[in-house]
Amino acid sequence: MTPLIESRYSEDQLIRFENVSKFYGDVLGVNRVNLQIAPGVTSLVGPNGAGKTTLMNLMTGLIVPTRGRVRVLGIPASDPERFFRVVGYCTQFDSFPRGVTGREFVYDSLRLHGLPHRQALDGADEAIERVNMTDAANRKVAGYSKGMRQRIRLAQAISHHPKVMVLDEPLNGLDPMARAESMALFQNLGAEGLHVIISSHILHEVDRISDQVIFLTSGYVVAEGQVHGVRDEVTDEPVQILVRCANANRVASRLFCEDHVVEARMHEDTRGVLIRTRDANRFYELLNRMVAEEGLEVEAVTPADDDVNSVYRYLIGSEGVNQ
Amino acid sequence: MAVYKRAYRPYTGTLTPAWSRFLVLPRYAFSTLFRSRFLTSYFVLCFVPAIIAAGIIYLWNTPAARVLLGGPSDNNALSFAIDGRFFYYLLRGQSGMIFLLAAWVGPTLVAPDLANNALPLYLCRPFSRTEYVLGKMSVLVILLSSTTWVPDLLLYGLQAVLAGGNWFWTHGHIAYAIFVGSALWITIVSLLALAMSAWVKWRIAASALIVGIFFVAAGFGQAFNAVLRTYWGYLLNLTYLIKTVWEDLFDIPAVATVSRRGNIPWQDMDIPVGVAWITLLLLGFCCLLLLNRRLRAKEVVRG
Repeated sequence: MTPLIESRYSEDQLIRFENVSKFYGDVLGVNRVNLQIAPGVTSLVGPNGAGKTTLMNLMTGLIVPTRGRVRVLGIPASDPERFFRVVGYCTQFDSFPRGVTGREFVYDSLRLHGLPHRQALDGADEAIERVNMTDAANRKVAGYSKGMRQRIRLAQAISHHPKVMVLDEPLNGLDPMARAESMALFQNLGAEGLHVIISSHILHEVDRISDQVIFLTSGYVVAEGQVHGVRDEVTDEPVQILVRCANANRVASRLFCEDHVVEARMHEDTRGVLIRTRDANRFYELLNRMVAEEGLEVEAVTPADDDVNSVYRYLIGSEGVNQ
Repeated sequence: MAVYKRAYRPYTGTLTPAWSRFLVLPRYAFSTLFRSRFLTSYFVLCFVPAIIAAGIIYLWNTPAARVLLGGPSDNNALSFAIDGRFFYYLLRGQSGMIFLLAAWVGPTLVAPDLANNALPLYLCRPFSRTEYVLGKMSVLVILLSSTTWVPDLLLYGLQAVLAGGNWFWTHGHIAYAIFVGSALWITIVSLLALAMSAWVKWRIAASALIVGIFFVAAGFGQAFNAVLRTYWGYLLNLTYLIKTVWEDLFDIPAVATVSRRGNIPWQDMDIPVGVAWITLLLLGFCCLLLLNRRLRAKEVVRG
């Protein structure tokens, strides 16, 4: 993944961590992190205390690494005027100045970014519209629901048009409709060329929107990249493949003879078989032969554990998984 | 991998100067503060000493008005003059009032941000911790200035106009003393209020702590003096320290000084002006250190 990224993107298009460690006194935040994050939606997943928020705080310049170097689009956090121009951060904390309305909250954020009054007003309205909060913009934030608060925080994070958006648990507390809207927004922003960095425990949703995933546990990055690429590298766990066909029992009996097949489990309706194999390529070759030589009619072949949830379980375990 | 269109356009327009951005913070602070009727009433009350002083200055300079009120027509018959001592007592009266104002307002500025982990909201922008402190402190500085040196300098101007001649120029040291003396006190109480509220993160407790430092430390200092028969306990008495500095600024002879200790009993001795200055500046520095330690975007958790 890394050499591919390096060849495809220039320094000013990447978020780069070079041997970064962060310790809070004796407590490890993250250790020896080497990452290059390309544009698109990138999710950080890991159990509580894995180092996700530390990584995000490093990315947003809120903390400095104990060791190593962080550059966001080629800019170090020590150059705040340029650095914060390209970074937008939405924290996981539900904190707002007292008595402020949604519009005032976003407007103030833009004034802190240095936008003049008129541009700040326009920028606030644009960002609020983008998160579908226009109707509630003049209401006090204190009266917002949790989902509305999440969205207004999102509005302040995107209001200054950053190139890198860092969103800490942005789907927490949202109802299904708001979650779907937020995910669509993240995907749109990613498709427009932004870096959208998300941390989340909701793995099946992470799976849907992420271009790449970074798996963290106990302060270490255990894997990174596109999910199926990461899955391919987890060689000690047999690959699960679901085959749907009319005569699944015939497929199962053939596969039992193969030494790379660990398990073949028939589906309840007898029209499907779940295979666990140590060599997916050999399995696909065999299945092709059965189709070509024996006239096997296959309805569908689907990888059953080529998703964030399964990779998470293989790499990290079941701790902190929220499906 | 998605195809990235790079259609996103970052803001490229003009920006306000970086130095002016801290002024965003006081904007809502004032509207929030003055929603409290108690605070608004107390703030108005803080102007009473200046209003009374304005009346006194007018009467002192207008014998006809004094006679109408049954007073003497001759200025020499009055037991006081409009001089450094007059403004010194005025400022002393105001200083106690603004200390309570700072103790009330200061914790509402910082403690809620820390308690709610709101600092990342401010600090993930081109906005430093120094600017954050400046922004929050500017609320206190504006409030406290408007009730001390601003009206006092206006009173100085009123006296200069009514007295005529070259009073304005011959008493220039009073204007200087008003400004420098007020600025020092405002800086110290503002920093103390912000530092204490950053430390305890709880508004009510922070207000109590600030008032506690004021009275308890003074009491402890007094006990220290009595037990050890010394005067260095005054170093713990904020009122005493600022009084010593103001007496020097307004050119008012103190009861005694250490350099003239001679046969003066210890309880009548004064600490040197330089020591008072250094102690107050050290206190301000300690408050800055505390703010530097507590105002972090990320709470450091040690386990």
